[in-house]
Amino acid sequence: MATHALSPAVPAYRGGLYEWLTTTDHKKIGIMYLINSFFFFLIGGLFALLVRTELAAPGIQLFTNEHVYNESFSIHATVMIFLFIIPVLAGLGNYAVPLMIGAPDMAFPRINALSFWMLPLGGVLLLAGFLTPGGAAAAGWTSYPPLSERGALASPGPGQDLWIVSLILIGTSSILGGINFLVTIFKMRAPGMTLFRMPIMVWTMLVTSVLVVMATPVITSALVMLFIDRNYGGSFFLPDKGGQAVLYQNVFWFYSHPAVYVMVLPAMGVISEVLPVFSRKPLFGYKAFIFATAGIGALGFSVWAHHMFTTGAVFLPFFALMTFFIAVPTGVKMFNWVFTLFRGQLTFSTPLIFAIGFLTMFLIGGINGAFSAAVPVDFALHDTYWVVAHLHYVLFGGSVFGVFAGIYYWFPKMTGRMLSESLGKIHFILMFIGFNLTFFPMHMLGIKGMPRRIADYAGDAGWNDWNLLATIGGFTIAVSMLPFLWNVFVSLRGGKLAGDDPWEGNTLEWATSSPPPPYNFDRLPAIRSERPLFDARHGLHTHDGPGGQSDEKAPMALEEGSHDDQGPTP
Amino acid sequence: MSTSPRKRPASDALVAGGVVVLLFAIVAVVMWISGSALYPPAAVTTQAKEISKLYDVVFAIAVAVFVAVEGLIVWSILRYRRRPTDVDLPPQTHGNNMVEVLWTLIPTVIVLYLFAISWQTLNTVDYTSVANGQKPDIQIRALAGQFQWQFEYLDGNGNHIATQTRAAGEGGGMAVPVGKKVYVTLRSGDVIHAWYVPRFLFKRDVVPGQENHFEFTVDPAELIDGKPATFHGQCAELCGTGHRVMLFSVVAMSQADYDAWLAKLVEIEKATPPPAPSGAPVLTLGAKGIAYDKKDLQAPAEAPFVIDFKNEDPATITHDIDIHGADGTTVVANQEPIAGGTSTQYTYDPLPAGTYQFFCSVHPGVPGMTGTLTVN
Repeated sequence: MATHALSPAVPAYRGGLYEWLTTTDHKKIGIMYLINSFFFFLIGGLFALLVRTELAAPGIQLFTNEHVYNESFSIHATVMIFLFIIPVLAGLGNYAVPLMIGAPDMAFPRINALSFWMLPLGGVLLLAGFLTPGGAAAAGWTSYPPLSERGALASPGPGQDLWIVSLILIGTSSILGGINFLVTIFKMRAPGMTLFRMPIMVWTMLVTSVLVVMATPVITSALVMLFIDRNYGGSFFLPDKGGQAVLYQNVFWFYSHPAVYVMVLPAMGVISEVLPVFSRKPLFGYKAFIFATAGIGALGFSVWAHHMFTTGAVFLPFFALMTFFIAVPTGVKMFNWVFTLFRGQLTFSTPLIFAIGFLTMFLIGGINGAFSAAVPVDFALHDTYWVVAHLHYVLFGGSVFGVFAGIYYWFPKMTGRMLSESLGKIHFILMFIGFNLTFFPMHMLGIKGMPRRIADYAGDAGWNDWNLLATIGGFTIAVSMLPFLWNVFVSLRGGKLAGDDPWEGNTLEWATSSPPPPYNFDRLPAIRSERPLFDARHGLHTHDGPGGQSDEKAPMALEEGSHDDQGPTP
Repeated sequence: MSTSPRKRPASDALVAGGVVVLLFAIVAVVMWISGSALYPPAAVTTQAKEISKLYDVVFAIAVAVFVAVEGLIVWSILRYRRRPTDVDLPPQTHGNNMVEVLWTLIPTVIVLYLFAISWQTLNTVDYTSVANGQKPDIQIRALAGQFQWQFEYLDGNGNHIATQTRAAGEGGGMAVPVGKKVYVTLRSGDVIHAWYVPRFLFKRDVVPGQENHFEFTVDPAELIDGKPATFHGQCAELCGTGHRVMLFSVVAMSQADYDAWLAKLVEIEKATPPPAPSGAPVLTLGAKGIAYDKKDLQAPAEAPFVIDFKNEDPATITHDIDIHGADGTTVVANQEPIAGGTSTQYTYDPLPAGTYQFFCSVHPGVPGMTGTLTVN
């Protein structure tokens, strides 16, 4: 009884839930980002399954009201892009970046919480469209006007307005998050953490944040113009009133192409952490990799019109050239990754397997993109299933595999417990097979002329078998989520204890406890390279060959690097 | 422990190499079995043949890059897995400026080459007589509307000859003579559509408020025994609920067939509808917003009847009233569609008593564009 009197009374409202709902801790916010994004991943996946079920065979099976079919693929893509991939990567960044640069938290913890809480609100608004009279937005995730305008045969209902408001909200969340990352990365690094000692994950988040901060306001302007057109008699995109329909596409893609890099660069960052750790080698060409990342970010702003090659309103050679050029820095990255594996000692834990999944699949996503860069070939492929194959090889084969690599990699840090390796491998195998079954046949469908966004097709078009395969693959992907969810469930309850550094990691997050305490670090190892923990274990390796012992500067043990030297704490 | 970790049994490399070779053998077999699955359909226009040639080059380079890089990945993961004996670190290679320069320059050269040949092909594909001060052989204005196509034939001075309102199916389609330069102007009255014919390997958006143009020439070799060849086409830009029914076809034929076809089209357009048989009952039906204003019509059995039809949709949207037999598939009455903003009187031949389905042939499957005709 007496001990009770000594400890402060904890009011009921300060329970665990209250703590999570009000937290400004970047780790808790990061985890909430992940959970929220994963929830929307399942919702987006459900819509994809509906679409695949309808397309499994010719004839209308599911959607007697075809408007609902259009709603399904529109909401599928919107949810996957804006409520899953972008936020899930922001969530991984939120969790990892402050830890990786030895900071106690993000620069603006309360703005960080605000950015997160805008997301579920945006998601609810988007899905609320289904409850409105005209249904949810059905003009595709791109919502090109005049189809997204308020005409009787266009998008008369409030679902489209909810789509606009939701995207503006999510965009604002992105901008706030981007600014937060930039300030955190530039101002909160631990002593010794120079820019060229930052982990690649931090570099990719830095470039991503620049893209977000520069590009997101532009799409916001397009959305606001569309909202004015729809609700206040504007005519920005209405040709019969002096507007221009293609203007929207220019503004939209000026954001949405860089957004592709927002969706893939952080995943590249994840695997650039995973590959070296599980190969026991540094990333091959660290600086070249950084320049390639910055190069992709810069070039990413000059290729937007390759989404508009068939509009007849684009200067084709310029955008074709720029689009081809973007393959060069991407190729540099690919070779750097492969040469990180080359002559390494690979341990095939689940994070590495997913990272290799990224490599093999993103390669296809890069190569099949080159077909569309060749403008005349794009005249054949544009808006067919080929493009659907291409974008899924980039965003699923690339980003989603990268996301899972990151989740398997950092789960022990986040929870203190290991995920089951065997369940992880079952998850990978099912997802890898399902993914290829779904999306590879789409190349064949596209080249044989099947357009996107159609609810049905003729039985004699030669598309039946590939469509059936794709549907079987889609359900395989859905099944692959079960071992993952089960894995998370059982590991949280009774997984093996992780310890501080289960993978022999390279970067600072492995120097603190799992899960880390509030404000992350009691002490930091010396930071003399991009692999401070590796240096602490093996000595500093700045040159080729294992020359650890000979290097005098190599700190062999954790060095005092207290919290107080971390610069001003706001 | 000081032995170099690089030293591995030679059999490892053999096994790894073997697996890589096996993988590519499997890929090759799969590609061989699926035949031309990854190839575009046989090109039928001069322009498409150029695109097909370009595709072949891009495809060859793509396969080479895929095999090289994917092979390197698979080989590395098989060859360099960690063994229990691997206690010492592998060589800590941080990079190599020479190879970085190399794998920056080589891809640069490849993409510059791809760009050059793409641009070259583009100049052929995008060439039009009109933009170069010449006259094309045939001029057609394709009008796209939710959810159908109309093809307006123009003479050398851009004046109207006749309009084809049946975009596909029996007696429909955009007829063109083979071996002639066909210049197409695209117009939309509502939202964005796209004119896409898979075997032309070509599509172009139909943007409201903006005219797009392109030109093509169908290879005369496509006519087998001089018979017309039909190529499927369809809208490729999401345009609303009826996007998938926005089908059309291009029918390539000899110049003689084409002349006859066009003359017949002119005749149909000029023909005044036969006067309604006196005493025949006149039903009325309207269409607006891609929907009929009535769901049920009644007509007497074994007697001709007339439907006074008014199309109140925009000009680019056409409708008609055709009638299905009781089985729902045989067409027992087939009328010419009329453009939006016009009206006509359709006369129907006597029908035996029964229940029929009336529908719009340009909007098949659109829920509002069908209804029940009871004949008794």
